[in-house]
Parts: sequence; C-alpha cells; structure tokens
Amino acid sequence: MEAEKFKHTRRMILSRVLLVPFIIVMLVCGTLVYYFAANLSEHVSRELANTADGHRRLIEQFLKERAFDLELIADSRKIGAINHNDLVVILEQLQKGSPAFFDLGIFDEQGNHVAYVGPYNLQGKNYARTEWFKNAQNNKIYISDVFLGYRNIPHFVIVMRKKEGEHNWFLRATIDTLYFYDLVGNIRLGKTGEAYLVNKIGVLQTQRHSGGKPLEADSDFNFYKSDESAIMSFKSGSNTGSQYLYATGRLHEPEWLLVVRQDRNDAYAPLAYAVLFAVALIVGGGAIVMTMGFWLASSLAHRLSMAEVEKRQMGTQLIMAGKLAEVGEMSAGVAHEINNPLQIMKSEYSMIKDLLEDFESGKHPPDSKTFQLIEDSIEQMGIQIDRCKKITQGLLKFARKSETAMRVVDLRPFIQEVVGMIEHRAQLENIRVSTSFDDNLPELKTDPTQLQQALINLLNNALDALKGKEHGEVKIKISHESGYIIISVADNGCGIAPENLGKIFLPFFTTKPVGKGTGLGLSTSYGIIEDLGGQITVNSKLNEGTVFTVRLPLADAAQRVAGG
Amino acid sequence: MVAIRLLLVDDEERFLATTKILLERRGASTLTAISGPEALKILDDEDIDVVILDVKMPEMDGVEILRRMKKKYPSVEVILLTGHASVESAVEGLKLGAFDYVMKPCDIDDMWAKVKEAYANKGASAVKSRKPTGNIIDKRITQTEKR
Repeated sequence: MEAEKFKHTRRMILSRVLLVPFIIVMLVCGTLVYYFAANLSEHVSRELANTADGHRRLIEQFLKERAFDLELIADSRKIGAINHNDLVVILEQLQKGSPAFFDLGIFDEQGNHVAYVGPYNLQGKNYARTEWFKNAQNNKIYISDVFLGYRNIPHFVIVMRKKEGEHNWFLRATIDTLYFYDLVGNIRLGKTGEAYLVNKIGVLQTQRHSGGKPLEADSDFNFYKSDESAIMSFKSGSNTGSQYLYATGRLHEPEWLLVVRQDRNDAYAPLAYAVLFAVALIVGGGAIVMTMGFWLASSLAHRLSMAEVEKRQMGTQLIMAGKLAEVGEMSAGVAHEINNPLQIMKSEYSMIKDLLEDFESGKHPPDSKTFQLIEDSIEQMGIQIDRCKKITQGLLKFARKSETAMRVVDLRPFIQEVVGMIEHRAQLENIRVSTSFDDNLPELKTDPTQLQQALINLLNNALDALKGKEHGEVKIKISHESGYIIISVADNGCGIAPENLGKIFLPFFTTKPVGKGTGLGLSTSYGIIEDLGGQITVNSKLNEGTVFTVRLPLADAAQRVAGG
Repeated sequence: MVAIRLLLVDDEERFLATTKILLERRGASTLTAISGPEALKILDDEDIDVVILDVKMPEMDGVEILRRMKKKYPSVEVILLTGHASVESAVEGLKLGAFDYVMKPCDIDDMWAKVKEAYANKGASAVKSRKPTGNIIDKRITQTEKR
C-alpha cells in the first residue's frame, strides 16, 4: 500500500510538474532542429546552384572569348590570302592568348582544308560532308559538338565564316580537349561533386568523373530537368540508383547543358552530421533531464511518504499519549474508588482485632452481642470486597474490546422496547417520557444489545437528573440526516456544570454520592457508541436541562476496534 | 482524663459506624456526620474537641468545610482524612489550619495517636489564633509538598 502510494505520488509529480514542460521544450527543440535542417538543406541546394551558375558563366565566357579571338583574327586580314607561315604565326599568337587553341585551319567554301597548322595530317582533306561544315554555312560563328573527325579523337571546333568578295572563307580552330575537360570538370564539390556537359540529345561532351566518356550517351539524361535560361536545382536519381542533387544550366552557343551534381548523401553529409549532433544532444540532454526528473520526483515522493508516515506515527503517538493520560486519570479514579472499600475493610478488620484482643485478655469475654459485631464486620468486608470487584470489573470492561454482534434493527420497536424498560421508574417518579420518530426512518445496522445498554444508561441519567423536580420530562427524538441516525435524549433536569462537561465521559467520574453512582455509566456508553462507529455529544445548561445526542452511521460502520 | 469529644465526618455510612465503635473503645466520645452541612450543624449544637474530616466528599468540598469550621470554631482541631489523589487538598488544608492528615486506608491506632496529639495541642494553645504553628506543621507541609 505504501509502495503504491509512493509510486502514485511520484507519477503525479513527474507527469504534472516535469513532463509537460519537458514535452514543450522537446517540441521547441524539434521545431528548431527541423527549421535548421530545412534551412541548411536549402542552403546546400543554393550553393550547388550558385556553383553551377558560376561555372556556366565561366564556360560561356571561355567559349565567347575564344570565338572572339578567332573573329579578331578573321576580321583583321584576308583569310583567303593567309599562307602556311602566316597561319603558324597566327596560331602562336592565339595560343599566347589562350593555350586552349590546339590547331588552326582554313577552309574554302567547298570544304577543302586549304591551310593547316597542327599535329595532324589534315591539310587538303575535304570536309564538305561534315556536320560542322554544313552548320558553319549558316552562322558567322559556329561552335560544334564534340566529334571524332579525321583525327579519330573526340574534339570540338570553333569556326569563323568570312565573306571576302564573292566567296566564303572559313577559319577553324580546334579547342584542346584536355584543357577543356579540365576547365569543365575541375570543380571541387565534396567527394562526389562533378560537372560535365551534355548536348541536347544526351550525348556527353566532356568526361564525367563518375563514369562516362565524351560521345557516350548519358544514361542519366532522363533524370535531368532544365530551364531555358535559369539554373535549375533539383533532386533526382541516376542509372546506378544513386540519388543526386543536381543543378543544370543551358548554354546557347552551342546548345549544351551544363550538369553539376553531387551525391545526395555527400551533399547533405555536413547537414546530416549537424542534425545528428543536435538530435543526439537533445536526446542526451532529454535523457539526463528525464533521469534527473525521475530522481527528483522519487526523492520528493519519498519525502512526502516519510512525512506521511511520520504524521501517522505522531497521530498514533498522540492517541497513545491521550490514552495514557486517560489511564492515568482513571488509575487515580480507581485508586480513590478502591480506597473507600479498603478503608472500610480496614476498620472492620481493626474491629475484629479489637474484639478478639478483648476475648484473649479476658477484658470482654465473647457473648452473642460481640459475636454479632464480628459477624457484621465480616459481612461488611464481604460487601466491600464485592464493591472492589465491581470497580475492577468496570475498569476491565472499559479496557476490553467487546465483541459486537451487528444486526439490522427497526428503530421504532427497538426504541419503544428500551423506553419500556424505564417506564415504570419514570411513572413512579412522576416523570413524563415522550418519544418522537421521523417519517421514513431507514433501518439501522448495529448491535442492539450494546446500543440498548447505552441508551438505558442515558435514560437513567435523565431520570436521575429530574429527581425532586416538578414537571419533569424526558424527550426522546429519533431522526435521520445525511447518512446518520440521530437519537437525542433530552431532560429538563438539573443540568451539568460547565466545568464538568469535559469530564462526564471519563470513567469513575460522578457527581452522585458514594454508592449511588459508579461513574462508569457514561464512559461505557461512550465506548459502546464509538465501537458502533458513531459519536455521542452533550449539551447542557445548569438548572435548565441536558441533551445527549447519539449519531450512528447508516453505512456499514467498519467494525472498528475500540482503542482501549 | 476527660473523654475527648470527637466528630467524625465521612460520606461512607458503614465507615462512620465502625470507626465510631473503635474510637469509643479507646475512650473517645464520638459523634458522626455524613455530610459537611450536617457536621457544621453538630458543631453548632455540641462542644467538640477534635474533628476527623474526609476531604473528598460529594456536594461540599472538604477544604471548604474546614475553612468554615476554622472560621466559626477556631479552637476546634481538625484532622483530615485523605485518599492519595487528594494530597493537594490535604496540603491546602494544613495551610488553612488543619492539625494533621491521615492517608486512607488508615490504621485505627495511627488515627487515635493523631487525635491525642491534636487534643494535647488544643490544650497547649487554647486561646491563641489558629494560624499553623510549630515545627511539626511546617515539617509536614514541606514533606507533603515534596511528594
């Protein structure tokens, strides 16, 4: 029972005092972490997009500049008039500007490679049927996709078309592939970040770190999204199943797509760590708080239990002290009470001794008179011994826990029977006894014998109080109120002095002359009523009257063991 | 020797009767009263030397009776009869002028000895006022209070 109550108190403290604020704090933390994570992940995406944006600009710029370099050359001289040596010089000049220029060639409008500077043997070859030549017809500057060409190595070209007189001339430069791959692919982006170019039909234009060579079809092409002009940032998958964070941007000259991507796990790694750390902190902190809380609640509950136990102990001690005081008072009473019979017995004993002395000394020989005296004394001693017996019995009765035999009692006939027992005496003493009952009195579960004893005692006391008074009346009222039966015995007799009101229930307290009252009646009645789970109270005014009120519970009065 | 005139006051009928016989056998002439008022009445009507008075009696407190006796009949000596519970009353009584006290249940010879002492004291200071005098009284008071 103790353990249960302890657990209950602890649970109550935990839930009401600690749990609610804890939950709130957790919610706040959770929300913060969520927003933090969301913000951070957006940040990562934006970073990638920014990188893609910058990179695209870089590539576009590079291509634009190379094209412009060529344009400058083309515009500043007659292409048709350039001979081989001139071309060498021009290439050197171009390469000074940017090492990206690999070789240089001039083509006539039929597609013949009329002049060439570079490591391959391409001079004199005809390119009329090549893709790039066809496209170069339509645009002043044309940048091609990557192709193999005669050299059988993936490369792409920038072609400048110039009309001189009636004819078109074409100045073509090849961009150093390795240089270009490096330009495009060389970005540092975590462990898996890469950048590469694909054309609009999904053919890789540059090398891809995660696998894929130029001119190979990009197997992940279907996973891409892109926008006309803006950088598009999105999450998507790939052929291998890995999830990537993408940022794509279109180039227009040529129509390539720059793809910058990073493995999601890689991209979000720092975020994941941060969140994990935060969560670990929260969980750890939370665990500590919970432990502390639990410990605190336990400690508090324990203290409360202790306090409760102490309180109960003190209560018990108080009752004990009260009982000891009662016993003390009672002992004094008993001692005093027994003194009187002892006193008498002593004098009788002295009497007998004296008479026997007379017999022995011859002063007064035994005769019928003296024998009578001795007999009287002995008889008297017997009477006093009986008196002592009654006193100790009364004491024992007070101390003993009497067995109660509970029964359901119909109050009307019960009370009438009790009244019947004292009616005769009342009539003799010219005292009027009246009884009144409430309507619809419920039945009472009680011990009828003991209750009868208690009530008769009250009635007798009432009759005693009316001795010698005129118009003496004893009124008995039985009523019922909120779960209790109330029996009141009222008289208009001599009343009880205020200083005695506190003592009347004490054993051996009596205001009656010796032999007329043992002082045990009210204390016994008190004990009986307490045993039956009720209370007995008194109201009195000197020379006006007294009312004793007995309250008995209707509900099952648990058989309380009388405190002794 | 002139018989000591005694008045025995106690609320126990039988005690009065038996003790009366015992005292008369020892040479006192004894009257009895069962209550304070009755005792005072007898004092009005008769000449009494020594009163043996029970301190705890219903209706009238023994100490109160003593007070009245001493007021009206200062020359009468009073011996108090007390049960242990009423020792305080006995001490109060001594202060009010009782000669001595005897604890109940008392031995008849013990009582008789005290009666004789009281009688002797009466003779020794017949007309003086009844303030407690003599070392015996003070000693008894201190003894009692210590207890």
